[in-house]
Parts: sequence; structure tokens; C-alpha cells
Amino acid sequence: MFIKAENISKVFQDRSLPVTALKAVSVDIEEGSFTVLCGPSGSGKTTLLNLLGCLDRPSGGRVFLRGEEISALSQEKLTRYRLRKIGFVFPDFNLIPTLSAVENVEYVLWLQGISGTERRKRAAAICERFGIGALIHRRPRELSRGQQQRVAVARAIVHKPELVLGDELTSNLDHKTGSELMGFLKELNREEKMTFIYATHDPVMIERAGRVIRMQDGEVVSDEKTRVHA
Amino acid sequence: MFLFKLAFLNITRNVRRSLITVMAVGVGLAALIFLWGFNDGTIEQMRENVIRLFTGHVQIHARGFEKSLSPELFLAQREKVLIDVAANPAVSRITERVKCEALVGTSENSRGVLLVGVDPERERQITDLEDHIEAGRYLEPDGNREILVGDRLAKKIGLDLDDKVVVMTQAMDGTLAGYAYRVKGIFHTGSQQIDEVSVYITLASAQELLGLGEDVHEIVIQLSDRKGIEPFLEWAKISLGSEKYEVLKWNELIPEVDQWTQWAEAVIGTILIAVMVVIGVSIMNTVLMSIYERTRELGVMMAIGTSPSQIVQLILLETLILEGLGIILGLVGGYLVTIYFGEVGISFHGVEEAFSRSYMSTVVFTKVEWPHVVQSVITLILLTSFIGLYPAWKASRMEPVKAIYYS
Repeated sequence: MFIKAENISKVFQDRSLPVTALKAVSVDIEEGSFTVLCGPSGSGKTTLLNLLGCLDRPSGGRVFLRGEEISALSQEKLTRYRLRKIGFVFPDFNLIPTLSAVENVEYVLWLQGISGTERRKRAAAICERFGIGALIHRRPRELSRGQQQRVAVARAIVHKPELVLGDELTSNLDHKTGSELMGFLKELNREEKMTFIYATHDPVMIERAGRVIRMQDGEVVSDEKTRVHA
Repeated sequence: MFLFKLAFLNITRNVRRSLITVMAVGVGLAALIFLWGFNDGTIEQMRENVIRLFTGHVQIHARGFEKSLSPELFLAQREKVLIDVAANPAVSRITERVKCEALVGTSENSRGVLLVGVDPERERQITDLEDHIEAGRYLEPDGNREILVGDRLAKKIGLDLDDKVVVMTQAMDGTLAGYAYRVKGIFHTGSQQIDEVSVYITLASAQELLGLGEDVHEIVIQLSDRKGIEPFLEWAKISLGSEKYEVLKWNELIPEVDQWTQWAEAVIGTILIAVMVVIGVSIMNTVLMSIYERTRELGVMMAIGTSPSQIVQLILLETLILEGLGIILGLVGGYLVTIYFGEVGISFHGVEEAFSRSYMSTVVFTKVEWPHVVQSVITLILLTSFIGLYPAWKASRMEPVKAIYYS
């Protein structure tokens, strides 16, 4: 199994009150799958996504990636793990506003220690593939939301991670742009064999996923494979 | 390079805030450089004033004379000492003096003074007493009954030009000796010590008064360079022998200048720390504000693989860039202002009274001493970098998830 979560739970402290965000959730994710986490706000989608993506550590239970327990790793090791194996697309894209589109993409390659010429070449190539080749020197504020989203996705996959996680990928996009983005992601999933997990409310996103995990009140209420639309 | 570019771009996000910080560093450093320049200029002038007004670079006495001023402690083998000293290539000029404590009196007033017998010709080559004559004239070489008095002394005992004064002192044989002199010149050096306490007569007259014959109490030496003092002292110790003579440098004769230097450096050191703290807090405020404003962004950077140490490097680099720009501004500003006032001087004529107690000139010419500039810059870099560590450390300790969803 590519990712395995065993009885993971997460409790946050809201002032002095403990708030349970996840209750003993167990999920297995297959390599190369295209999985969506859906459910109402506060159902635990983002928390589960963060735990699967090594962004946070569970209060209970264990998370394994290719058999290695990642929930027990130190912050430093988790950082290295995220850098090498995981790509993230955050809500509101969260690009670095002072860097141009191509520099935002290049940043991850710089973190990996790739030389300037090589990283510029790779970053420009992926921007070209995402149809933003002509916009690579623009700052995020000079791009539309759809264009920013493409830069964010390009940044998430430029280093060819094994796992790509997305949170509310299309929440701020119109139907057409959201649909185009899904097309890109599906293409990457097919061609690069990357594993995708994303959290969303968007019915369009949900119906295009290969697997839908529904959550409510910090628990998985259903987990079903769907007929996938290309 | 990428990190540097990112750091530089980050500080340009809020140009006004960054400019204020750069200005704070720049103005603070410029003020420090100027302050050091003022102090260094003042002290340099004090040194020169002491040397040019009175002491020369080095003086040779019979052992114990400087402390006791006993008239019988004249220089043994005076001629041999003169020949030996003159042969030293570092020596530029030499003169001889007779010095003793005396009483100067008119029919109505009297005052204890330091009586100095000088060779008028040789004295003017070493000290600039002649330049400070405000009324009358300098001593004539054969003016055996002429006396020069300071303006403060003249005022205190009611003396004017051509007035007659009686000088009384203890002669070599222990008897009380006295002669009458005419005031031929009244000098004003600005030094309370000299203007109120010292009187000058010719060397021959002083030798006659004390019954010294050809002997003198003091040989005053001007070297070609002040840096030659220490080597000369080493030479004198070996060549003249230390049992019969005391060879004293100018700052041993007038230790107040060194005391003033230490005091001034301590004051400036305190100001330096205060300025550094203000600059440091200003930088820390800017960097902390900048971190709070981009909490989510830093969270995302950490989430995609930026390590805590890289976050520290980024924040420190931002601090150092702000600091570096401020240092360039401060160096240029401080240097130009100090050089300018080094040319035109800063007048303190209104507070001459206060200055006169410490051999200070009433016009101070500031001076750039690079070791002090370097010391200020290094202290600034070390202190502000240390202060900059806090926001850097704080940023690196953020938890990515909390930072990303921070609102």
C-alpha cells in the first residue's frame, strides 16, 4: 500500500478546550490513484490531508508511506520528506508574492539543490506545459486566479513528487477554469503516475475522481470507487 | 543567490518601513562616527596643545625632580646628556629649562606660581608660548629682568604691562632669593593651568636667581614624530641610565589628557550601546512586522520543504541587507560630516571657561580615526545580527499547518 493511515486521530486545543478534528480514521491509498476527500466544512478533510502529507502529526494512530511510519518522524525529517516526495496545492494558492511565476516554480527546485540553469529550464518547461509560458515573468498579483492556480500546481509537481495533495483546489475558480484544471491534473495522474489526493466540496471535482472518501464530524462515512470521467 | 534575491525582494515589500529602518541604522551610525570624530579630534588637539604649550614630547630631569621640584635636583652631566640626546636621529629640537616653585608679588597681592626659566630662542622652536602673547611681547634673549605672566594671574593680582613684580624663591643653597622683574608680556593659552599658575623668565635670569650657574633642571625634547616617543624612551633608558635621570613622556607629565581620553571613551561607549539598542529594536520591529504579515507565506514555504535553518538564513539575510544599506548610508554620511567639520571646525568660544581646564581648544576639528569607525560598524553588525536572531528563530519555529491557516 502506498499510504496507510491506521486509526489516526487529531485533537486541537482551542484555548483550553480540546476539539477533536479526526476520530480514529483508517484509510489506504493506492499508488497512482486519484482520490477526493469530500464532506461539509469541519468534517476533517483538511486535517486528514495534512496528516497524510506529513504537514502535521496525529494525536493518535500511525501513518505509513510505502511502509515507513512517517507519523513518528522528526520535524526536520518531515520537512525533507515533503520536499522530496510530496507536492502541495494550498487554498488560495499561496504563491510567494515577491517572486515571478517561474521563480515560484523554481523555488522548490532550488530547495532541492538543483543548479540555476537546470532549474530555470525545468520550471519554464512546466509553465509552458500548463499554458502559462508567456506569463512566467509576471508576479502573482499580475495573474488571474486561474493562472495563479496553474502556477501553484506547476510548483507542486515540478519536482515530480510521488504524492500531490490539494486543498479546495477549485473553490475560487469559475466552472470552466476549475474543469480545465481538473483536466490537467487527470492528465498528470495518467502520464506521470502521480498519486493525487484532494479535499473539496465541488461536485465537478468529486465526480471526476477515481475514489471518493466522504467525511463527517471527523469520521469516514463512506469510501467508494467511482466510474472515472476523463 | 536565490535566497539573497528573495531576501532583497522581501525587504522591498514595504519600502517606506524598510527605508525608515535603513535611515535609523544610517543616522545612528553617522552620529556615532561623528561623535567618535569629535572625541578623537578633541583628544588629538589636547595632546598637541599639551605638547606645544608646555611639555614637548619628552623631558629629562634628575631623578625625583618632577615630583618635588627641589631646586637642588639639577641635571648632572648636563652637557654630556645634551650631546647624547642631540645625536639621536629621532630628536628634532632641544631646549633647557629651570623650574621651581616661587612667589610672585606686587605691593598689594602675591601668588604662588611655577617659575619657568626658558631660553627664548630655543623655547620658541618647541613650544608656541610666543603665539599666545596677547599683550606686550615675548622675552628678549638678554631680557634678564623681564617676566611673562598669564592673563588669569595678571587679573588675580592686578598686573599690567610694565608693572613691577617681585619673584621670591628658595635658592640652591637654601636661602631665600628674590628679584624684581618687569611684566613685558601677558599671555593667554586657554589653559587654566598655564594662564593662572605659570610665569616665564629667561633661563639666565632663573639660573642667577637660584644660584644654579650653568645648570638646568629640565631638558625638553621635540621628536620629529610623536610615534618615536616609545623608541626614544627605550634608547634613553639604555644610554642615559635610569638611576640618575627620569625620562618622562608628555602624558606622564600631564596625565589629565589620558584620564580625559578614558573618560570620553567610556561615555561614547555608553552612547554607542544606547544607539545600538535603538537601532537593534528598530530592525527587530521591522523584521517582526514583516514576519507577522507573511505568516501564511512562511508556512507555505515550510510546507513545501523549506527547512527551519533556511528560514533563519532568509530572515537573517533580510536583517543584514537592511543593516548593510544602513551601514553604507551611515559610513558615507558620518564620514562626510566628520570630514567637513574637520575642515571648518566647531567653535566653542562661548564655553571657553569650561574648556580651559582641560587643555581643550575652543575650536574643535573633528577627525576620522578608522579603528573607531571599524569598531562601531563591527559592534553594530554583531549586536543587530544578534537581535535579528530572535525574529529569525521565531519564524523558524512556526508550525506549517498553523501558519498556513493563520488569519
